[in-house]
Amino acid sequence: MSRRSELLRYFGARLALAPLMLWLISSLVFLLLRVAPGDPIDALLGPKAPAAARAALRHQLGLDQPLPVQYGQFLGDLLHGNLGVSQASKEPVTTIIQASLPASLELGLVALLIAAVLGLAVGFSGIARPEGKVDLAGRLFGIGTYALPPFWAAMVVQLVFAVWLGWLPVGGRLPATVLPPEGSGFYLFDSLRAGNLQQLQGALRHLVLPASTLGLLLSGIFTNALRLNLRRALGSDYVEAARSRGLSETRVVLRHALPNALLPVLTITGITVASLIGGALLIEVTYSWPGIAARLQEAIAQRDYPLVQGIVVVVAALVVLVTVAVDLLVALLDPRVRF
Amino acid sequence: MPAASGLIHPAACGLLLTLLALGSSGCAPPQPGASLIVASKSRIDSLDPVQASRSGQMQVLSALGDPLYAIGADGTIEPRLASGPPLLSGDGLRARIPLRQGVQFHDGTAFDAAAMVFSLNRFMAIGTLGYQFSDRVKAVRASGPYELELELKAPFSPLSRLLSAIFLTPVSPTAYRSHADKPLNNRFVGTGPYRLSFFSGQQQRLNPFAGYWGPAPANGGIDLVTLSNSTALLGALRSGEVDVLLASGLEIDHQQALHRDAAAGRLREGSGPPLSIGFFSLLTDQPPLNNPGLRQALARSLDRATLSERVSLGMRPPLRQLIPPSLAGSDPEAWPAYDPAAARALYRQAGYCNGKVLSLPLTFRSDIPSDRLLALTWQAQVRRDLGDCLDLQVSGMESTTAYDQLGKGALTLFFYDWIGDYPDPENFLAPLLGCEKAEANRCAKGNSALSGSFWSAPGLDAELQRSSRIDGPERERLLRAIQRRTASAVPYLPVWLMAEQAWGGRRITPPQFDGSGRLRLDRLRRLPAAAATLAVSTGGPEARR
Repeated sequence: MSRRSELLRYFGARLALAPLMLWLISSLVFLLLRVAPGDPIDALLGPKAPAAARAALRHQLGLDQPLPVQYGQFLGDLLHGNLGVSQASKEPVTTIIQASLPASLELGLVALLIAAVLGLAVGFSGIARPEGKVDLAGRLFGIGTYALPPFWAAMVVQLVFAVWLGWLPVGGRLPATVLPPEGSGFYLFDSLRAGNLQQLQGALRHLVLPASTLGLLLSGIFTNALRLNLRRALGSDYVEAARSRGLSETRVVLRHALPNALLPVLTITGITVASLIGGALLIEVTYSWPGIAARLQEAIAQRDYPLVQGIVVVVAALVVLVTVAVDLLVALLDPRVRF
Repeated sequence: MPAASGLIHPAACGLLLTLLALGSSGCAPPQPGASLIVASKSRIDSLDPVQASRSGQMQVLSALGDPLYAIGADGTIEPRLASGPPLLSGDGLRARIPLRQGVQFHDGTAFDAAAMVFSLNRFMAIGTLGYQFSDRVKAVRASGPYELELELKAPFSPLSRLLSAIFLTPVSPTAYRSHADKPLNNRFVGTGPYRLSFFSGQQQRLNPFAGYWGPAPANGGIDLVTLSNSTALLGALRSGEVDVLLASGLEIDHQQALHRDAAAGRLREGSGPPLSIGFFSLLTDQPPLNNPGLRQALARSLDRATLSERVSLGMRPPLRQLIPPSLAGSDPEAWPAYDPAAARALYRQAGYCNGKVLSLPLTFRSDIPSDRLLALTWQAQVRRDLGDCLDLQVSGMESTTAYDQLGKGALTLFFYDWIGDYPDPENFLAPLLGCEKAEANRCAKGNSALSGSFWSAPGLDAELQRSSRIDGPERERLLRAIQRRTASAVPYLPVWLMAEQAWGGRRITPPQFDGSGRLRLDRLRRLPAAAATLAVSTGGPEARR
């Protein structure tokens, strides 16, 4: 069997398993929500609504149905692509997800860009003199940023740059006086497309702190990954062979060691992207970023079953797709990978 | 090359725009009469009155809509969309309400009795708080083009107060025709001083409504924004990013910091009427608190003054009754005062103190920081004063879970708070003491059980119902008697009073509240720089508030 056929078979098998995985995840979430303590009626009406009003609302929301009936309804709707209606706002779950997912993705992608550039630059900087001062600083940077508690770091950054210095806004995606651009929900893209400078300025200024904080926190992973893999690559036989052929050290590093060291980094990037699709909860909460993670947190607090289920299913589906895509990319780039 | 240059051109434009955006300076200084930015922690999912159940939604609706009656800052009831008080039939079962003429909805259609009937019927059919109205009103009809008739299930003396609830604000039948049986979340077409020009969960823009029947707003519009954590809210006000900040959702230490800033003249502070009560619910149908003597002892073990001072810097005054003092039937000393000696005697009578310590589990809402502080402070105060008799085992539980457990009788001693949907004593006593099925002193089914005390008394529910039928001094006497009766059994332990608060920058007029505890957004105004300096330096009324 040719490598291309193998690749297609592997890719097909991974995609075919996706529905099974989604069914397992959604069923587990459905069950856990019902087992967990707390009642959506209490969240909606408060603890003192009369019993009749509580019973009426329970009936209206279909929560008085037996659990298997509720589960059957949920699965039936899911198979038809219907994620249901939020119990709290009565809005379709897909509408809520469409409004909040782009915010998380925009933040995640910019943060990832910052993390990759910063992390790889720091990781690469110490390679000229291993165990030297620059290398030691890079190691400390990698460990330090990885170990920083996100909530604390975000609060400190917010206090210093937004509250004390007043350079940047404390939270949100746009200034209160600027209305959001219409379009995809990715404000940078939408405002650029519309050529609206005010919206673009507002969106950029609001993105700087959350994206930088998240980027800084994630950069340590890239630093450590590149540092370790590059050192390993520089000690390998093919690099020695390149050196013995009289190639310059710069050429050895850039043309021979670095591409191989970046392959594991690509896998790490995929895992990071997958984790960011679900949003960065602590960053979103600290910076009042209206993303999917903050929405999920609210939905859990309100025991909004359809919204929690919908968000989890959509995020899980995206994570599956991204991990399969990254696996495929690694397989395409690295001929050593076997299936 | 043509293809490449086609790509380069938009990319270059984008880069140029980005650089311009980052490099451009801030805006020109805002002018008096310009729009203002008001921040709070409340995310708004819907502005349909049928969906209203949270304070944030009610706050926005109070600027977009008008109720039939409004409660002024001094507690008096004023007609708003009604043109006079309700005219009751002899048996008290019918109320005719004359309506104001010449009022327009934001879509230009006329407000009349038919519009009011449409809105009230819609609220009763699909309103989250529909029971508040449908429990009292059997039917609604238009008895004339500008006269509304309500058929009541029983005589109900606080009818005007009920009709002051903002969730009963009328909506345009034309705009809501296709949403008669379902909510319309992202629009609002009512009669209020502002019209909604933009809505999202985190941001709402209100513009003055040119066709408003009453006085025009003092500002050029309001931008309401949601910031999801207390530090961000505090920082936004201090950095001048927002003009006014609402207290709900702010952590208690941040409220204290803003209070100090206001006292030092750096901010303007405004408070609404204290209409929210913080209290403990005591599980009275299970040991050990099924012993009335122990409940009495507990009531005398609570040093409210210390808790108020230590936890809230005195911003939440001590409370020894269930009805806020600004409402009828107030009895400021209904519950016993702090008296450790009397408490010790009662614990001894119950067999404690002599080498035997009563261990009580105290649960607080873990997602409300001030609750934790209160629970820990009381625990420390009890250890200091009555450590040989009582030991409070403090633990936190997330709100929604706790409310669920409360009605199941799982929480021995639980701290939470309550604010009525409209300011009337009935809305404080009935939700805590109402009981559909009582067995001697135990409430098996009803509000008392849902509230976690499971306490009732023979004839109490009938007295509660009677209190909502009568009016005047007779009603006040009855309400006080109910409070005294409840205090003697101690199913609840009132701790403190809370009021909505707001802070604004020095260049904003002091925040004012109405009698329902809503910030008057239409009264907020940006002051010219000279006036702001003068008001602060002379310590004028605006600065003193």
